[in-house]
Amino acid sequence: MIHVYGVVDGLEELPRVLGVDEAPLERRRVAGLELVLSRAETPPSAEVSRKTVLRHAQVVEALMCRSAAILPAQLGRAFRDEDQLATAIEEQAVQLERSLERVRGCVEFGLRATPEPADAPEADSGADYMHARLEQVRLQDDLVERLHEPLARLARATSLQRRTGGVSAAYLVAHDDARAFETAAALLESTPGVTVVCTGPWPPYSFAAGAS
Amino acid sequence: MSGNDALKYQVTLLELVDRVLNKGVVLSGDITLSVADVDLVYVGLRVLLSSVATLEEQAA
Repeated sequence: MIHVYGVVDGLEELPRVLGVDEAPLERRRVAGLELVLSRAETPPSAEVSRKTVLRHAQVVEALMCRSAAILPAQLGRAFRDEDQLATAIEEQAVQLERSLERVRGCVEFGLRATPEPADAPEADSGADYMHARLEQVRLQDDLVERLHEPLARLARATSLQRRTGGVSAAYLVAHDDARAFETAAALLESTPGVTVVCTGPWPPYSFAAGAS
Repeated sequence: MSGNDALKYQVTLLELVDRVLNKGVVLSGDITLSVADVDLVYVGLRVLLSSVATLEEQAA
């Protein structure tokens, strides 16, 4: 089985870390794209554990530090052999190239914001329930306006998700704007009444799956 | 670890696992990760996170 960590461009040299299942990393060029992969005798299927997740993430992060652009691959897919790998990459080459250009020179940041629970009365009627739902939407709108929008202005692309009880978002930020972004994000973490956690810089996982 | 650091650590770990398992480019190939596998990772994560919370309680 072949485990792929990502598509890279301008990789200086392979990082001195081992891949999943302690397998050595390899570079492979397919359809003009460079991939970093490792091999395993058996499919890692049931072996997918926290350790595998962390190792995959560690390799991707090390690659990000040594390359001009990286598209992290989603964990949970593997190729049987070189032929299957080559066919898959050739089919997606144009889209991959486009995605690689989109994330070039950028890192990703994350935001999770959850309002601190208010003393909401139990919903014992349909009207109360609707009222509570509307209140939740209003709170989310408020978080988007106060937290997401200022950060989005510093980003090249964003992805926003409204969750029950809050919002989470990812930001694609140019290297040159990363410092300003971190400063702005740190300020928002002390917003009263909301638990705000900003994370990153991450490899651009949330922006690897194609331009939208 | 202060309460804030512990929270930041927990959220960072959760965000990491979310990215690795749910984001990133899908290069086709064979699926090696079942929904049950993914669930197991999250269960393992919860165990780890609850141990962080325990650590914090002990430190308090």
